[in-house]
Amino acid sequence: MTLDFPWARCIPTLTAVLKLRGVHKSYETVKALDGVDLDVDQGEIVALLGPNGAGKSTLVSVIAGLCKPDRGEVRLNGIDIRANPGLARRQLGLSPQETGIYPILSVRDNLRFFGELAGLRKRDLERRIEEVAAAFSLRGLLDRQGRKLSGGEARRLHTAMIALQRPPLLLLDEVTAGVDVQSRKQLLDLVGSLAGRGSAVLYSTHYLHEIEALGAQRVAILLEGRVVTAGSIPDLVGAFGGSFVELRFDRRPAGLDLPAGTVNVGENVLRVPAEDSAAVTAAGLVGRLDSSGATLREIKLLQPSLESVFLSVTAGTANGGPP
Amino acid sequence: MSLGRVAAIARQDLRILRTDLMAIVPLIVLPLVVMPFLRPAFRAAFHFGGLHNATGAEQVVPGMAVTFGFFLVMNTSSSFFREHMWRTWDRLRASAAGPAEILLGKMVTPLVEFTVQFVLLFGLAGLLMDLHVRGSWLELCAVGCAFAVFLVATGVAVTAVCRTYMQATATVTAGALVMAGFAGALVPFALLPPWAQAISPLVPSYWAMQGYKHAIFGGKPVVLPVLALLGFSLLSALVAAARFRFEDQKLGPT
Repeated sequence: MTLDFPWARCIPTLTAVLKLRGVHKSYETVKALDGVDLDVDQGEIVALLGPNGAGKSTLVSVIAGLCKPDRGEVRLNGIDIRANPGLARRQLGLSPQETGIYPILSVRDNLRFFGELAGLRKRDLERRIEEVAAAFSLRGLLDRQGRKLSGGEARRLHTAMIALQRPPLLLLDEVTAGVDVQSRKQLLDLVGSLAGRGSAVLYSTHYLHEIEALGAQRVAILLEGRVVTAGSIPDLVGAFGGSFVELRFDRRPAGLDLPAGTVNVGENVLRVPAEDSAAVTAAGLVGRLDSSGATLREIKLLQPSLESVFLSVTAGTANGGPP
Repeated sequence: MSLGRVAAIARQDLRILRTDLMAIVPLIVLPLVVMPFLRPAFRAAFHFGGLHNATGAEQVVPGMAVTFGFFLVMNTSSSFFREHMWRTWDRLRASAAGPAEILLGKMVTPLVEFTVQFVLLFGLAGLLMDLHVRGSWLELCAVGCAFAVFLVATGVAVTAVCRTYMQATATVTAGALVMAGFAGALVPFALLPPWAQAISPLVPSYWAMQGYKHAIFGGKPVVLPVLALLGFSLLSALVAAARFRFEDQKLGPT
């Protein structure tokens, strides 16, 4: 990885590249964002996590200037996106959830276009294309048409198109969706490298394990349009990460006395919060199953983790299951 | 406003056009193919009407330029719809390019296409079909410029109004044929029924045909047709300004 971010050298201290304050957005009667507050600092990766419909994509759209917030403040490098949308857009690079490339153009021309839009010209542009192509393993594919790329290659190009611009803020929405394990690891490594070079990264994902693999400094959990909690993974696990016992039956159990906070997470699957250790709770539950009329098919002990944090935080919502 | 970004968007559309030249077949190749078949019939019609010096090219060349010129409306509109189809529209909107830069950039390639069509149709007709411009080439170009502006502005308006590519295609195809009919582009204006002749001035294509014919036959100024075309362009621009929403999600070709 040989990417360099000259603007990063001009920023002497850690500063909020993205600053959101009280951001609201509604669609007709649906509140998509209900007062979102969030900062992302230079060189920091913040993972945006939330169940379906929590407002993640709306938040990304608002930051990218694709839709206007009803209320609140969105600042990119201190620039208000409403007061100066053009200058604000120049601070960010958006990699949307769905792959967006020009399929009938070559990889080189796809990269060239976004480089030209970012103001790169001639030799600088060609040099940057070569650098990014090398970093994203696209060098041998530069003259191949976009439609002839594999899913993973297209996804790498999709993300490379913004890495080429070297923006202060990278907005990455599900960048690994639909790619194989190898490409996923490669993309996550590249995102980490981009942050290491000074970009602030807001990384929206459904995959909990990616957040740890990515080395995100902070996780923000979005629920019903609000950031309900944000912090480092150890801090969140310490605060919310209880253990759970997950029980799968052959039919719905009847007459079973279950602790408060138990949720149904699938057909005949119950997730029970552990009061002390997951193993002790599991043993107690198994001893009371005889009268339920259902046969236990599987039992899982869920230790404190980002997943258990997520489950605790989202428990009781319509989308309370894992995303 | 950055001319560099406008140029970048225009270059990207030109790259796409270069990769898939089928987009200009209806605009340029079809009229060149059709003209030789129709010219003898128009020459006979002119002779029957007493214009013994006419070659038929005076009708068939502007007629085909106007009829097939409407594909430029579709090409303009397609350049927006395909961004939606390829999921690049939001990326473009989130880029450094502002709304005005995107719109202007997307108008350049259709204008280049029109210029190629104009030069090839009128140039080749002058060389191969005995098209004699008795008026002024400058006036002919002025009419062409005004017509091109109208077509591109209408392309943006059609994009603004239509939600799907199919809606746009149907609108443009139907509009092109109806307007060509009223304009006297398919048959000489004098042969149209009186009711159609009465309606014709309300149709932009009529003014394009009148302007081209005035410039070709000479003797009549093209000021009025040019102004009329610019007036219709303004109407299309107003529709586009009122209805174009950058945040609208369009459905491209399926």
